Amino acid sequence: MKCIIEGGNLSLRAASASRSAFASFLFAPLFFQRYEPGPPGARCKVLMKSFLGVFRSLPALDKSVERCLLLLRLRAGQLVLQLHCKHGVTRTHHLAFQECEQLQAVFDTQCCASRLRGPAQVLAEAVVHFPQTLAEVTLGAGAGGRIGLRSHLEEGSEPGKAMVTELWLAPDEFQEVAVVPGSRITFCLKEFRGLLSFAEASSLPLTIHYDEPGRPAIFTLDDPLMEAHLVLATLLDPESDSQPPPATNGISYPPAPSDDFTDGLESYMAALESSACEGEAGAPPSPTFSPRTPCPAESDRMEEEDGAVPGTPPHKKVRDGH
Amino acid sequence: MPFSTQSHSGGEQYVLTASLDNARNLSSLLRAVHFQDHATCFATANGLRVTVEDAKCIQANAFIQAEIFQEFHVQEESVMFRINLAVLLDCLTIFGASSSPGTSTALRMCYRGYGYPLMLFLEEGGVVTVCRINTQEPEDLLDFNFCSTNVINKIILQSEGLREAFSELDMTSEVLQITMSPDKPYFRYKISLLKPSTKALALSCKVSIRTDNRGFLSLQYMIRNEDGQICFVEYYCCPNEEITDAEL
Amino acid sequence: MRFRAKIVDLACLNHFSRVINTIAKLAKTCTLRLTVNKLYFILSDRVANGGVSMWCELCQGNFFDEFQMEGVAADNNEIYLELMPDNLSRALKTAQSAKAVKIKLTNKYSPCLKVAVELPSLSRSSRIVTHDIPVKVIPRRLWSDFKEPSVPDFEVSIYLPLLKTMKSIVERMKNLSNCIVIEANLSGEMNLKIETDVVSVTTHFKDLGNPPWASEDECQSSARGRDLQSMAEARIDIKKLQQLLAGQQVNPTKALCNIISKRIVHFILLHEDVSLQYFIPALA
Repeated sequence: MKCIIEGGNLSLRAASASRSAFASFLFAPLFFQRYEPGPPGARCKVLMKSFLGVFRSLPALDKSVERCLLLLRLRAGQLVLQLHCKHGVTRTHHLAFQECEQLQAVFDTQCCASRLRGPAQVLAEAVVHFPQTLAEVTLGAGAGGRIGLRSHLEEGSEPGKAMVTELWLAPDEFQEVAVVPGSRITFCLKEFRGLLSFAEASSLPLTIHYDEPGRPAIFTLDDPLMEAHLVLATLLDPESDSQPPPATNGISYPPAPSDDFTDGLESYMAALESSACEGEAGAPPSPTFSPRTPCPAESDRMEEEDGAVPGTPPHKKVRDGH
Repeated sequence: MPFSTQSHSGGEQYVLTASLDNARNLSSLLRAVHFQDHATCFATANGLRVTVEDAKCIQANAFIQAEIFQEFHVQEESVMFRINLAVLLDCLTIFGASSSPGTSTALRMCYRGYGYPLMLFLEEGGVVTVCRINTQEPEDLLDFNFCSTNVINKIILQSEGLREAFSELDMTSEVLQITMSPDKPYFRYKISLLKPSTKALALSCKVSIRTDNRGFLSLQYMIRNEDGQICFVEYYCCPNEEITDAEL
Repeated sequence: MRFRAKIVDLACLNHFSRVINTIAKLAKTCTLRLTVNKLYFILSDRVANGGVSMWCELCQGNFFDEFQMEGVAADNNEIYLELMPDNLSRALKTAQSAKAVKIKLTNKYSPCLKVAVELPSLSRSSRIVTHDIPVKVIPRRLWSDFKEPSVPDFEVSIYLPLLKTMKSIVERMKNLSNCIVIEANLSGEMNLKIETDVVSVTTHFKDLGNPPWASEDECQSSARGRDLQSMAEARIDIKKLQQLLAGQQVNPTKALCNIISKRIVHFILLHEDVSLQYFIPALA
């Protein structure tokens, strides 16, 4: 990943290798203590790893750095980052840069049918419930203006194997909810988390613009001194909407949950038990049932134990489970 | 918690016996030089020196003088053996690596001489652990021939500043150049060789950086242990190449 | 078949989470057995597990404010489920400030334990987060695989030393060797030993005490009439022991082990409302 710096107004941009994510931060001159614009159209890219290495430990920087100077030396092909620290210590980093092409994602928030704006904190607190390893999440508009987030199970992952997490946010938790009812998009959670933690730390409100599945979702932060955009590709809807899904994402978005579910559990269990005696034919189509050769029902009764002495470890005999 | 020195039935005595009320005063220092699994231990009446080397270019020494120990006896003029330092450290820290307040592990170390294992007796809270660690033939150590008369640059500073600077360095680089004097030559060192010295730097309160006329680097770290006693660790490093033109 | 339960008290929730975290550290997949009064987490002796088995028992009344269980049938009023305890652990991880946690067995598309966490939120309504944890329902004819293991006819039974101390020692020994010997006698002495080409380390514990087992009238225990100094020993996989010790988040009220020389070591860890038994077979 490279970080791109453009002269004129300083902007930092990056795109993922697969081009499924793009981020840009544009700084107004007033963001800085002093700002001298470079030649217009100046552009360079530096290695993200090297750049991040300079700012590795934020608490340490907070403690010791008094001033930071960013200098683009075009002829020398270097980006110079100079940290002026306490006790007269100066740390200078020279990062070699390369010329590069323009990096700009094509997006237009005006073309997005749905828009959602609220404090980053609300969404940050919501995503904390999803496992760190979850790749993608689905955001959807539910009944009553509620906004839902749900784990997205990957294509080809076995149904009934992965845990699915879901939660709903009330419309009054947002500043603005202008979404197409029933709409939903699925995007990369990891990249979203990155933006959320930045937005939460800076207490900036976050706006999400989205359209149909497959079209990019655009996340923006409002700040007078800086414009931040994150553009994420979204998944196309799978074709198999009509079938009852083993995977939970091919269906129309579930309505707000109520306490009563219509379980088929009773009938499922009856089918399970009877197939044990009949053989494979008639076994319920649940993918979680692992076939075994049928055998006659056994007596489940076990021996009762006598006179447990209180305060001693368990007796040796097998106990009835009650 | 004294362990009595045992004389074995053959009338043999230990050539090295040492006792320490707090084993961490030894283990923390050994950690500061643990960048290779094998170390050479050298004991004289003055104390214990543990040396670790790599690539014929770098050597680290940890010095634990006799006064640090509650008891320190060396029967011969000097005793020397090679030992697996990773194993030794696991044994010294058997009751836990970090310090819990108010508890410490007491240590007794005994060595019967050439060919015998190093015996460790460790005790904490009434629980006793006995370790036997096999020793090996000591190998020749490098002599960097670093003497103070040839030192041309010397700086002594508080470790904190240097710690911050080292933490900024990109350790995947090839070389580190240390510029102390306004005059050339400036010497460079392989950063991968110097990386282990940061362990000693982390523990130390003061550090001295010296280079001699050949560009050999000596880093000496003053380390204060839990009882406030001072010990030293030093690193020697050969220069990578000499450059005559200042870069950048 | 029906199962619904609810926890409202935060202390109970924290306690339950800790138990689940411990189970998750010991088994990737295990069996949850539900009865009217108890929950059991069971891992049965399988070669894939290195022959380790586990039996953990909780009284539901100590954790749940509501607990409704209707088993598979009237005369088999129990439910056996196979699940990955780590899923449950993760679901409860962010529930630590919850107003209520409800657990329910459902079968919308496939059997799941649905964990619904009700959290306080700034809006008018609470935040509800649900986690659908996939489970497999274990049919009755396989229930005999999950019987409570009988306490073995041990030679020595001894209280364990402070688990924290044992854990530090075993962790260090794990760096030095793949297997460890546990030996103990009926005089309250226990040794942990490792030995390799390079190093041998023995830790000696004294005055641990031997638990008084109520003797069966007819049963001739192998411990009866045994020389008090004689050590029973077993060599076991050190990683299994380290996993058991690492998983303990709270000091148990009672911790002991039973040893049959060269066969098995049976650990029993008792807390006020949870008991955990763990069997580690001896290595060949």
